[in-house]
Amino acid sequence: MSPLTLFLLASLILLALGLVGLITRRTLVGMLISVELMLNGAGLSIVAAAKTSSLTGLLDIHGQLAALFVMGLAAAEATLVLAMVLVVQRRFGRITMDSVSTIKGSNCESH
Amino acid sequence: MNDLIGQVFNAIGALLADLEAWLSPYLPGQSKVALLAFGFYVLLLLGGGLTAILARNLVRATLGLIITFLGVAGFYLLLASPFLAMMQLLIYIGAVCVLIFFAIMLTKNTSDGEEASLPRLANLIYAFLAGLAPLVVAGPLIVQGTKDIVTRQPVDSGTNLGEGLLSIDLLSFELISIILLVAMAGAVYLAWRPSGGEERA
Repeated sequence: MSPLTLFLLASLILLALGLVGLITRRTLVGMLISVELMLNGAGLSIVAAAKTSSLTGLLDIHGQLAALFVMGLAAAEATLVLAMVLVVQRRFGRITMDSVSTIKGSNCESH
Repeated sequence: MNDLIGQVFNAIGALLADLEAWLSPYLPGQSKVALLAFGFYVLLLLGGGLTAILARNLVRATLGLIITFLGVAGFYLLLASPFLAMMQLLIYIGAVCVLIFFAIMLTKNTSDGEEASLPRLANLIYAFLAGLAPLVVAGPLIVQGTKDIVTRQPVDSGTNLGEGLLSIDLLSFELISIILLVAMAGAVYLAWRPSGGEERA
C-alpha cells in the first residue's frame, strides 16, 4: 500500500466515526463534536491528496492552504454553533435535538 | 548524568534498529519508524474518536476529541507539513475545544444530563450501518485508485504558505476573513441579551 492509501483510509475512518456520532448523539454539543471529527478527516484527506502531483495536478502548497481554510471555517462554524446552543438552551431549557421542533409562527406550544 | 542520558538514547536507538530489522521482511520499501509513528497516531485517532462519539459525559467526549486532534496533528507532521500541525494545535485544540467546553459549561450539561444514557440498541445499529457505508463504498475505491501513487514530500516552510496566501489564494483569504467577521458578529447578535429587558424573539 502506498502512503497515500494509508492517509486516505485514516481520514475515511474519521468520516465514519463522525457520522456515527452525528446520528447517535442527542444534544447539539455532542453533534458539534462529531462534526469537528468529520471536518478533521476532510482536511487530512486534502493535504494527503495534494502531496501527489500525479493525482491532482496541484502543488503541495494548494493542499495545505485549503486545509488552513477548512480550519478557519471550522472555527467560524464552532462560534456560530455555540451561539445557537445558547439560544436553544434559553428558549427551550434543553439542548436536545427533539426539543427544537417548533418554529416561529407555528401553533404548537414550545416545551 | 550525561553518560546516563547518552546510554538511554543509545538503548532507544538500538531498540528502534532491532525493531526495524524485525519488521523489514514484512514491510518492504517503507520507512519503518515512520510506519511505527503512523500506527501510534492511528491508535490515538481511533481511541480518541471512539471516546468522542461514545462517552456519556460530554467533557470526556471533548477530551477524546482533543486526543483525536493530536493524532491528526501527528499525521500532518508525517505529511511534512509542520506549519499545519502547529495550526491544528492552535486552532482546533486551542480554540475549538475551548469553545466546546464553554458550550458545555454554559448549558450546565453535566454527566447526568441528556446524554447520560445510551441510545436505543436499534438506533446504535442503524448508526453503525450508516458509518459503515462510506467505509464500504469509498474504502475499496481508495485502495484500488491509489495503489501505485508515489508520494513526494518536500518540506515546505511557512514562507511559501504566506506567499501562496497572498498570490494564488488571495480571494479565498479575503473571503474567509469576511466569513470570520460575519460569524463573530452573528454569534454576538444571537447570544446578546439586553440587560433587564425581554429576550429577543
